[in-house]
Amino acid sequence: MSNTDLEDDLRGTFDRAAASVPMATDLTGRATTDARRAQRRTWMISAAAAVAVASIAAATFGLSGGRSTPVQLPVAGGNAPASTSAVETEPSVETVSGTWRPVQMAGLKALSAERPEDPVLVFRPDGTWTGSDGCNGLQGTYNIGQRGEFTAKAGMQRLIGCDNVPHTGVLQSAKRIAVDASTLEFYGADGRELARYARAR
Amino acid sequence: MEFEEYVSARGQDLVRLGFTVSGDYQRAEDLAQIALMQAFRSWRKVRKADDPHLYVRRILVNAYLSMTRRRSFTESPSAEIDPPHPVPDPATDIVNSDDLWRALAELSARERVVLVLRYYQDLDDRTIADMLGIKPSSVRSTASRALATLRKARQSHHVS
Repeated sequence: MSNTDLEDDLRGTFDRAAASVPMATDLTGRATTDARRAQRRTWMISAAAAVAVASIAAATFGLSGGRSTPVQLPVAGGNAPASTSAVETEPSVETVSGTWRPVQMAGLKALSAERPEDPVLVFRPDGTWTGSDGCNGLQGTYNIGQRGEFTAKAGMQRLIGCDNVPHTGVLQSAKRIAVDASTLEFYGADGRELARYARAR
Repeated sequence: MEFEEYVSARGQDLVRLGFTVSGDYQRAEDLAQIALMQAFRSWRKVRKADDPHLYVRRILVNAYLSMTRRRSFTESPSAEIDPPHPVPDPATDIVNSDDLWRALAELSARERVVLVLRYYQDLDDRTIADMLGIKPSSVRSTASRALATLRKARQSHHVS
């Protein structure tokens, strides 16, 4: 049998198989309902995580006598962006794409501790992120809104203990980001900076 | 184009695509729903794409490939296009097609997806490569390997 015959037969098989598929009902309703339900779930988890991280941040800043007034949210087109970055870039999956290493995290002092793996975060333009907390591989998905609104979900991960860098907590608590060529900052629901990363490559 | 318009125009096509890649009606609906759900969540971005339907199909096939990589994934029995006919003639072509459909289940998920995108969706190798995040040469070699497997399966069936 020639390749062409086989290819023609394949087309026929696929067409026939496709034609045999029964009509699906209410795809729109199911897709939108599921998406909204998932979004609500993400918001609830994010809100709970944000409260937890904000509490840690408040305790840390309170003890260290650091900045106690909430920073203003870095809204594009706003009056005074809270970011400390020199020149902000419009946050998008393209501008955050790349590898980032943590330089500051609210409530975490041991960022420079020895770890089996490099605790980096990698954002890809297809909406997925990967990384390592220093000893466990991490992965998930993220979304960036037009004004820097940020949401992320984490996938399954191992839980080997070490001086784990809580990237996942930061990503899930973050509500907004600010980015420039070398710095990526995450902000919680109350506008406080949760973490700052520097571009690794 | 609004999301609802897209779904009413293309939703069933997505279920069909899901069925040709997975061979399972239930999974086909799940895949279409996953793809539509993800598209809905970033619909502003999707509808700005050059070809929104290509974008959603990309989500679907990659969702399927991710699904097959999970340890919990087990292949369900393939649904038959037509019930086995007790008399081989005159429905020879249907029986042959059925053999080919069954042989498709022997391919890896990626091989099957490549064949579906090539011969059912009529996409060129470059577009397929872009959808799957692989090189066009990998698409060609994957398709060639898959066709060889199918040819072999068919020959052995005709011999036996």
